[in-house]
Amino acid sequence: MKAEVRSQKSEVRSEGSFEPKIVGFLCNWCSYAGADKAGTAQSAYPSNINVIRVMCSGRVDPQFVMKAFENGADGVIILACHPGDCHYKEGNYRAVQRYRMLLRLLEQMGIVKERCRFDYVSAGEGDKFVKIITEMVETVRGLGPLKTKTAQTV
Amino acid sequence: MKIGVYFCNCGTNIKDKIDPERVREKTPADAHFKTVDFLCSEDGKAFLESDIKENGVERVVISACSPREHENTFMRVLSKAGINPYLMQMVNAREQIAWVTDDKEKAVSKAARYINAAIKRIALHDPLEKKEIDVSQDALIIGAGPAGLKAALSLAEAGRKVVIVEKTPVIGGMPVRYEELFPNMECGPCMLEPLMGEILHGEYSENIELLTLSEVVEVVGSYGNFTVKIKRRPRCVDIHKCIGCAECIEPCPVSAKNEFNCGLNERKAISFPFAGALPNAPFIDDGVCLRAKGDECNLCKNACPVEDAILFDDKESVVERNVGAIVIAIGSDIYDCRNIPNLGLGAIDGIYTAVEFERIIASNGPTDGEIKMPDGEPPKSIAIIHCVGSLDERHKGYCSGICCGYAFKFNHIISKKLPDAKIYHLYKELVIPGKEEFSLYRRAQDNMNSFFIRYRNIDDLEIADRQGKKIIRNKTLPAEAGSIESDMVILCPAVVPSDKSAELSRIFEAPLDRFGFFEELHNRMDSAQSKIRGIYLAGTCQSPMDIQKAMNQGMAAAGYILSGLAAGRKLEISPVTAVVDADRCSGCGVCISVCPYKAISFDAEKEVSVVNEVLCQGCGTCVSACPSGVIKGNHFTNEEILAEIAEVLQ
Repeated sequence: MKAEVRSQKSEVRSEGSFEPKIVGFLCNWCSYAGADKAGTAQSAYPSNINVIRVMCSGRVDPQFVMKAFENGADGVIILACHPGDCHYKEGNYRAVQRYRMLLRLLEQMGIVKERCRFDYVSAGEGDKFVKIITEMVETVRGLGPLKTKTAQTV
Repeated sequence: MKIGVYFCNCGTNIKDKIDPERVREKTPADAHFKTVDFLCSEDGKAFLESDIKENGVERVVISACSPREHENTFMRVLSKAGINPYLMQMVNAREQIAWVTDDKEKAVSKAARYINAAIKRIALHDPLEKKEIDVSQDALIIGAGPAGLKAALSLAEAGRKVVIVEKTPVIGGMPVRYEELFPNMECGPCMLEPLMGEILHGEYSENIELLTLSEVVEVVGSYGNFTVKIKRRPRCVDIHKCIGCAECIEPCPVSAKNEFNCGLNERKAISFPFAGALPNAPFIDDGVCLRAKGDECNLCKNACPVEDAILFDDKESVVERNVGAIVIAIGSDIYDCRNIPNLGLGAIDGIYTAVEFERIIASNGPTDGEIKMPDGEPPKSIAIIHCVGSLDERHKGYCSGICCGYAFKFNHIISKKLPDAKIYHLYKELVIPGKEEFSLYRRAQDNMNSFFIRYRNIDDLEIADRQGKKIIRNKTLPAEAGSIESDMVILCPAVVPSDKSAELSRIFEAPLDRFGFFEELHNRMDSAQSKIRGIYLAGTCQSPMDIQKAMNQGMAAAGYILSGLAAGRKLEISPVTAVVDADRCSGCGVCISVCPYKAISFDAEKEVSVVNEVLCQGCGTCVSACPSGVIKGNHFTNEEILAEIAEVLQ
């Protein structure tokens, strides 16, 4: 895996500037509200993130993540309510279960796990949202573009 | 399909960062693109409405602030403009683009991506309709303690029909059995009698049906339309005809232990639970009455001055009631102190639980309120052991919250009744919050005969009997530290869930928490609401609490019902729910196992899953769990989300 990461990095250097496309699935009640909070606080973060609002992280179907990669995303992030805070009681637990399964699937397809991140952001954690998105964009920028060959096999 | 894109400048908030003209250039030319300064203002909304009408716009994309702020506002405008409100998608251009993107060019691109994705998405939107169903505005209250009665009376006063189901023959719950209550030393029956009087004979009592000696055995339906089956044990006394004269009691030839006095004295087969119990009518215990054993005893009926007040042919029956909402107010129990055998309860005479002691000090109790030893002598010393089973992971990890309050009430009552008696408080922690509660602790502190001793662990204490004296020793201290000698010991047990909680939890499918109390919808925001819609919680069935909190929860439950099932209004059901395609469902049941609201059931006949639209909250967890992909998440369908993903990545 490390070898793959290194080779992609070198590719990026030769290509010059690379703006990764990131898709973020945000639950309406906590993480989407957290993203709004970052907005109200006017804390800037990279515009590479494309937010898809879902009511609950439990709605995030693994096929959404696969489709995002297939459609050209270089990274995907799923943000949920903190454990115990889910508006729908336990949707975030389902989400994290599916995420773990999804990682294994992605690995088999040659998509490194750093390209798909799961985290918790509460409605008050605007700063954490900014930090996570900034980190994610930097991580994926470092990894370079997801090779289209891999994406086509999805 | 004519799509309208309304770009709100939000004054300068959005416009300064995202140039609307640049965005327009990047969006489809056939979209009807309009820029408005403040779309949420009255002028803005009026413009939106008329512009939709005038231009024959069929679907709407609104690029403005967060949908969390104004989605409902604009949905209402769409309705007014005559198009289905679900044919709209908002783009969060303010909070998630303009305010967080430094580079103007990038902000423009991102806004265009989002708007284009929204355009793709709304093309797939279904016009969804809110449903309205007829509901019953009536309520069923289980448990006639303070919380249940408060809820019942409030609802009855608002004109609702209320059914109260009480398993004992008496109303008022536990506090009606207590002589005095902390923190104000008010007499329990005196405090509750006005409330009980209103329930039984007040202006609105016609709205209340009281079923004593009754228990809920089955429930079908959901919020707004529950059908409840209630099993009624025979009381054999008509509470409406009986005048409560008690002439029937004396002639009764058989007795049994009186459970309302914790078995500390006896009662007859026909009896009142205790003097002053309401409703003011006795009951016949069919487990004790000679007639139940086949004898032709008529002594009570012969003594009764009212015709047909005693009904020997009263039989067990099951009645059915239809209600819109249910309040569980079944109260709680106390921890079985025999689980801590070193405290000697049940093995050594003169050791009582706090509830037993409440009855001992009650003037209508087994000793007529006199504190005395089994030999009839008043005790010279009393030890009160706090935190029995509370604050201890091996028993109950939580603080029961009320024990310190009543322990210092005991201190006050004992020192009034037996001024020379020594009172020892053995405690793990002292917890006495509240603006009034501290006063009784102050009094105990100022009392020269009251002593406070802290222990670390309940297992450190050992109570032994020495010729009638209870010797309480702390095993962790050296022998020379001495031990306490006491004539009487009172244990303050943890408040624990009622033994009926598990059964009712099963009947209502309302989950219990890890302690066995009913789990609230939200611990801070909705503690009087269970996890099941339409089933509310009041009093100690939800958590240990004092009377003040229980009463408040009773009112809260009534409030939920009055606002949720408002008079003259149908129940509106959001169309954003899951829908199972019954033709393609394989009946595997995965969706049933993941639904947090028990909203999905299995139709055994058709062998498919069925979503109850009233209970479904639209989270979509089942949609992504369905292995056959046959559950549609309305307004968040796979097609809609996938279209959004594809376009946002263009």
